Amino acid sequence: MLDKPASALRIRERLLESERLMEETGCYDGITELHLRNQDPLKFETLHTKLRAYCVSAREMARRISASPGVREVGEMVVAIYTPEGDAIALSNGIMVHVHTMSRFIKWMIRNGYEENPRIRDGDIFANNDAFIGTVQVPDVMDVVPIFHSGKLVGWAGAVCHELEAGGITPGGDVALAQERFTEGLFVCAEKVGENDELRRDYVIRCERNLRMPIYWVLDEKAKVASCIDMRESVKGLIDEIGLDYWMQVSKEFIEEGRRAQLARTRQLTVPGIYRGHTFYGHVTKGKPGYQPLGDPDWLYNMPIEMEITSDGKIIMDFEGTQPWGYHSMNCTPAGMDGGMFVTLTQHMNFEGLVNDGAWMATELKLPAGTWTNPDNEMVATATSWALLLPAYGVFQRLLSRSFIARGFVEEAFVGQVNSPMIEMGGQSQYGTPFGMAHFECAAAGSGALAIKDGLDTAYVGWNPESDMGNIEIWEQNMPMLYIGRSIVPNSGGAGKYRGGCSFLSTWLVSKTDHLRLVTSEHSSRVFDNGGLCGGYPAPTCQKHRAVRDSNIFELAENGAPLAHHTGTNPYRSELEVRLEGEHVTLEGPYITAPHKTGDVFTHSYNGGGGYGDVLERDPVKTAWDVENGFLTKEAAEGIFGIVLDEDEEGFPVANIEATKRHRADMRAKRLARARPVSEWIAKERERVKAADFAPEVKKMYASAIKLSPRFTRDFSTFWDVDAKSTFGVE
Amino acid sequence: MTSYSKEVIADLVAGTLPWPQTRRIMSAYKDDDRFFKYVAVLQDRVGWKDPILLPVGDHLFICQSGDERVTKCECGHSFGDYRKNWKLKAAIIVRDSEESLREIYPNSDLPDPDWMEIREFICPECGTLHEVEAAAPGYPIVHDFEPDLEGLYRDWLGKPLVSSNKGG
Repeated sequence: MLDKPASALRIRERLLESERLMEETGCYDGITELHLRNQDPLKFETLHTKLRAYCVSAREMARRISASPGVREVGEMVVAIYTPEGDAIALSNGIMVHVHTMSRFIKWMIRNGYEENPRIRDGDIFANNDAFIGTVQVPDVMDVVPIFHSGKLVGWAGAVCHELEAGGITPGGDVALAQERFTEGLFVCAEKVGENDELRRDYVIRCERNLRMPIYWVLDEKAKVASCIDMRESVKGLIDEIGLDYWMQVSKEFIEEGRRAQLARTRQLTVPGIYRGHTFYGHVTKGKPGYQPLGDPDWLYNMPIEMEITSDGKIIMDFEGTQPWGYHSMNCTPAGMDGGMFVTLTQHMNFEGLVNDGAWMATELKLPAGTWTNPDNEMVATATSWALLLPAYGVFQRLLSRSFIARGFVEEAFVGQVNSPMIEMGGQSQYGTPFGMAHFECAAAGSGALAIKDGLDTAYVGWNPESDMGNIEIWEQNMPMLYIGRSIVPNSGGAGKYRGGCSFLSTWLVSKTDHLRLVTSEHSSRVFDNGGLCGGYPAPTCQKHRAVRDSNIFELAENGAPLAHHTGTNPYRSELEVRLEGEHVTLEGPYITAPHKTGDVFTHSYNGGGGYGDVLERDPVKTAWDVENGFLTKEAAEGIFGIVLDEDEEGFPVANIEATKRHRADMRAKRLARARPVSEWIAKERERVKAADFAPEVKKMYASAIKLSPRFTRDFSTFWDVDAKSTFGVE
Repeated sequence: MTSYSKEVIADLVAGTLPWPQTRRIMSAYKDDDRFFKYVAVLQDRVGWKDPILLPVGDHLFICQSGDERVTKCECGHSFGDYRKNWKLKAAIIVRDSEESLREIYPNSDLPDPDWMEIREFICPECGTLHEVEAAAPGYPIVHDFEPDLEGLYRDWLGKPLVSSNKGG
């Protein structure tokens, strides 16, 4: 039988032994010495480079099999190679968040006796998209295959694609309307979906019968299986070369080396101590169709994070004080939280050396039970957990950045990732067929600023460092909408000495359909969820949706009249209202509404990143360039940054340095005149706190945090010198 | 071992190093002698003599001021004992109305001031904007950073600090 682990132990016993050894020695799997590395460092490094090459090559090959523009164009895929116990040894680029969630999936199968039933054999294919087993959200479907050599289990190959359609209550994958697990779509719960390297026909039929657009999911499955087989065969070939004993030892040393390297890098780049930050998420659904009255329709979440860097270089992130899970799709499982940590570390600290699960082992997450980070109810929905993950890990990036600034590595400081709303759709396609799709151009938001330069414009998201918005023409092939605009949104980066990266806005004409359901998610309005650093401002909040039903756009086009290509810079009257006739709609929060049809116009705006440093220090010459190219408005240059711009002979903006100096001196004087001592503000604000004179959603947020967290209660009470519990009526 | 001149570090910190060179520094192995060069660059920048022990912001430093270790603005204003939250000794502007938020966000939709306000923490002497918090009304002011100063110098930099009577 081909179902024996390379060790004499059954694989479940081996996993427990590996964990025990880690507990006892502090080193991965009890590897206290890196013998093979010390014996021949060059061979050691070369082997890991080979493994990484297997992963990168397998992913690129698989992307050509996929039919999904999310995978083909935007690269929403990652692959990795694991030990028999399920720890990542090497990985590809792409959506690296899932390298560790797949690890959880493999371990879950091992712990749950899969070796006995349904058995783990050569050629088997296992799939999962259950976040409580190990993924982030329903559309993140993962496939793993065991790697056997000489009849023994010697590792796993795994692949994840983000599916563009998951068959939930609303079309797409980030199922905005899901309020419980049962509306999130098609679940595959650690299931054996194939044997002998072939997907089971009955599994494929289930996919075809339960998805709006099965071609994406099914071909992605084939792509993933192909990449897994490719990696498996490469690893087997490698073992033929180096021998099985060497492989079993070196694969563990790779991970221990990764763990040690992470600790060393923390000691090299950061400063030990306690770091704190917070962010918020505001959700507005009151009166929107489809939401069941299971919880508050509008709510506010706080996300306080305390990060400790210990003297041995361990990073500990603590979410105590945050909010409970809720009847919405934004909850996250510990697997998702791990994934968020892993993908952020890979970008910030693991830019060299052996990137693998070792880095994750040098960190610790404290996720209070019952909160959105660790729900104590496995029926909750997690379909849009990125809505909270992104702002939370944006805070992590800012906390890490403060440590880089303190230590002098200013080039690594990065205000970080942003939450950026996603648009999904379904109904009847332009070809007259049923369809469903998540539009993945959101994978190109604006990034936070760096400590030495502006953020990246339309070129960054936290979950995939290989950010890409995809080509317009490809998206147009897949949906019944045509682009009439894709534009930079001026001032969409947070202001600062270095501004946050700008986002963009798409303007679409609905075409060749009588039934197009448009749904958006991860849409935090009412609050800032993207912060700034060292005096930089947060990026603007999520922008409202602006649409026109029954527009006169075809008539305008026929007459050669100007069309609206964006919403413009007047927040009180958009370009759509100026240029188009029809039923104008302005909607805050998730877009859940009646279907659209041909002739309607719809806009969707993504988010920019937070700023860095004092606005009054911004470079006037760079600002003139920004205004000329549409990243800032002239109004903002003068009003926010204090930069006076003149026009040259051809009408281009040029900085007036002397006038800028005078204007800034005046602004600084006004700033000082306007400011008051913090102590004065606290004394006055305390009266408001004592009276709990806040909006109902704010009061509810405080009451929930106080109920769950003794530390939050203590800190709140101490800061305001009040009894937090009685102030907010908490028993 | 990777190492850069003090001039290169100065340009890097000032954001004036040409991008290709900056990019190479980002991609290269890190320079282990960075910290003390960085502090020297900052010490040259400030107009006062108190030794900088640790930068904690763009223009904010923990320094040795006589017997005390204090948080200081680049202009020389002291916010007191570095172990206390410097923000509590700062000046503040709070933007909690549509009108005041509109000054910073002239062209976009705004958050609801009943749900969210912006707090600007300013040096009361020179007016430098050191930090911005976006928080729900009533949220306690956050103490951003409590460094383990002694631990950093002793365990990571290998140059223990001479003990101080006050402020750590």
